[in-house]
Amino acid sequence: MTAVQKRIVINKIALTLSTLSALIALAFLFWILGVLVMKGISALNWNIFIFEGAPPGYAESGLKHALVGQAILIGMATAIGVPLGILAGTYLSEYGKNSKLAHTIRDISDIMMSAPSIVIGAFVYAVVVIPMGHFSAWAGAIALGIIMIPVILRTTDDMLQLVPGELREAAFALGAPKYKVILSVVYRGAKAGILTGVLLGIARVGGETAPLLFTSFNDNFFTTDLNAAMPSLTVTIFNYATSPYEDWQQLGWAAAFILSMFILGLNILGRVILFAGKKGK
Amino acid sequence: MIDKIFFNFTRLSALLILVIVAWIFVVLFNHSLEAMNTFGLDFITRDEWAPNLDKFGAYAAILGSIISTTLAMLLAVPIAVGVAIFLSEIAHDKIKGFFGVSVELLAAIPSVIYGMWGLFYFVPIIRDIFGGLGIGLLAAGIVLAIMILPFMAAVTRDAMNTTPDILKESAYALGGTQWDVIKDIIIPYAKAGIIGSLILALGRAIGETMAVTFVMGNVHHVPGSILDPTTSIPVTLANEFTEADSSLYFSSLFGLALTLLIMSFVVIAVAKFYFLRKARRAS
Amino acid sequence: MASIIDIKEECALHVRDFEFTYKGSSAPSLKKVTMPIARHSITALIGPSGCGKTTLLRSFNRMHDLYPGNSYGGEIEFEGRNILTPKEDLIQLRTKIGMIFQKPTAFPMSIFDNVAYGMRLQGIKNKTELNDRVEKALKDAAIWKEVSDRLKHDANGLSGGQQQRLCIARAIAVEPEVLLFDEPTSALDPISTQGIEKLVIELKERVSIIIVTHNMQQAARVSDYTGFMYLGELIELGQTEELFVTPKEKLTQEYITGKFG
Repeated sequence: MTAVQKRIVINKIALTLSTLSALIALAFLFWILGVLVMKGISALNWNIFIFEGAPPGYAESGLKHALVGQAILIGMATAIGVPLGILAGTYLSEYGKNSKLAHTIRDISDIMMSAPSIVIGAFVYAVVVIPMGHFSAWAGAIALGIIMIPVILRTTDDMLQLVPGELREAAFALGAPKYKVILSVVYRGAKAGILTGVLLGIARVGGETAPLLFTSFNDNFFTTDLNAAMPSLTVTIFNYATSPYEDWQQLGWAAAFILSMFILGLNILGRVILFAGKKGK
Repeated sequence: MIDKIFFNFTRLSALLILVIVAWIFVVLFNHSLEAMNTFGLDFITRDEWAPNLDKFGAYAAILGSIISTTLAMLLAVPIAVGVAIFLSEIAHDKIKGFFGVSVELLAAIPSVIYGMWGLFYFVPIIRDIFGGLGIGLLAAGIVLAIMILPFMAAVTRDAMNTTPDILKESAYALGGTQWDVIKDIIIPYAKAGIIGSLILALGRAIGETMAVTFVMGNVHHVPGSILDPTTSIPVTLANEFTEADSSLYFSSLFGLALTLLIMSFVVIAVAKFYFLRKARRAS
Repeated sequence: MASIIDIKEECALHVRDFEFTYKGSSAPSLKKVTMPIARHSITALIGPSGCGKTTLLRSFNRMHDLYPGNSYGGEIEFEGRNILTPKEDLIQLRTKIGMIFQKPTAFPMSIFDNVAYGMRLQGIKNKTELNDRVEKALKDAAIWKEVSDRLKHDANGLSGGQQQRLCIARAIAVEPEVLLFDEPTSALDPISTQGIEKLVIELKERVSIIIVTHNMQQAARVSDYTGFMYLGELIELGQTEELFVTPKEKLTQEYITGKFG
């Protein structure tokens, strides 16, 4: 066998192995997705949206409490994380730029983005739950909000930087003060990007379980009391799935399916908006 | 006037992130002081974790974290690199687009779902093949590997894609095969980025809680084999934080949280500031 | 109708009724191109951007095959066969027909390994042979003096002009019959450009050269034959001096006098 022939054979083997690993990965991931869809859809029914949690064995049990709790937690986390993230991103892109402080903030928030979320939960437990004396929706929302800030901050920073400098200069040339230029020109130019960042930020925290375990904790019943423990889809999935009761496990699959569809939907929507925004230019 | 207020608002928000990070470290440190004062170094070198005796040694949990992430990396890295090669060099455009987006979307699926799948579908398989409980280090390592795979493959592919086409074409123009180009040009060119991406995935795996909590068990013993149930730092935190009933118990859990934060902080910082920065400078 | 000179000397390549269509495009980007390439001489391809000169150049070593979906028509004859057939061995073809790109493309390895790369691909492992041939290639590419004391250094530490000469050394080390130059000086300063042009002229003693350039002066300085392309067609191929002084086609004249492009 000549050297060239040998290379051709090695090439075939290596490419086959790569393709094989891609197929293996795909098989596992679609296995998980398949199970999620099959189990989830078969467990779905109207009762889920009508009834709150019930002891195992009750026919009239559902996920209303967890769905509403999840919505409340995400809504509050968004209200905390989005304004702070956007303002901080605005500082980095419009004021801090290449200063040392701006770079430090970018670096730290990059690390924060990958930091263990359960640690954030422990932190919020110490600074919110202990002083309050009990678990609460507030604590859960604050934990999620903290996780959200770096995601929004970085996308806002990146997206604002994509707005061409001439646009800002043109607005300045008309005599507009800087805050007006940012609010009316820069934000408008980066609208699609910021919106995508917000959606991805919501998707990111929407799937978090660990930081809620000991902040908003869980509750098997419907509640809107922000000062009390608040049920969430994710913690409910964890509790129901690890329970020995089959009907709870079923509800767990239904919750897992609803949660995944919500998060995939947000991710897809975010991409579509960004793509449409790019195309429009 | 308004200009100044707006500026200060944005600056305060930006500074807030630094404050929060510093605050997290301070709070975790303060709350773990009691455990540190009581146990000293024993806290990380002893494996006796006995809440009823108020004795807390985190050795088993730390070891469990290290072994489960190592196992996950050993399984995930070769496959993730294979997937990245497939996505950046082998797949035709249409497959590349479809498969690439699927991988990115799978990376967004909440880890609690990977854990749930592992408990119901993978643990029984391990039980059937190896006997025993099924839950333990092996199950945790595999589920963690599967969970981290999409993220790892996506960032590794992005690193490989930074190789300029013209550089690849130059190697083809000398009679190189696809594999020659991958191993001699793309991997050396994107080396820093690839390593950085893999380490970043490692940083995420260390702190991952839900994918492993389902399948690890929660036993504070150094495992005899990878089939034994054991624990890891996040698993212990997830299982015991709401059960802690003494201040020393709490303090020990905060000590674990601090240990975990430092471990992941260091790993992520190495990935970001050494490898990924080097990669960005090169390209 | 195109005006194509009849080359009396031996030809390295012969393009006949060649057509090329990019993936997904309905019309061919190159239309019925017929063109002889004289052996051991320099043929320049000029024309406004988008005229197809680089597309034609990249057909000679079947570079387009890296991106699936492109299609060829007609024929390109090399060493007595049509190289456009599916059974053509592209690895062999590319070692016979080398290529230099618009930008220097030093591989992420040492200077020595860069030059030795093509030889190693062919299975040459013998240290002395590699050493000798690397040295010879570097000397032929007029860069030996500058790098002989740092062969083990990373090639990316060299200047742009040095890197481009290194790429030429790398290409000639495998002793090709034909060398394709795709705007080789477009990323270089005037002095480096001069060096590369001088080198190209020296190289034609041993290889046949096709050079795509956006710079008409460069074509005039280095080439023996020049082909003018426009909208995917070869409008005129002639001896360089004649084409620039007394072009036969009106389009050629308009282009070289700067009326468009």
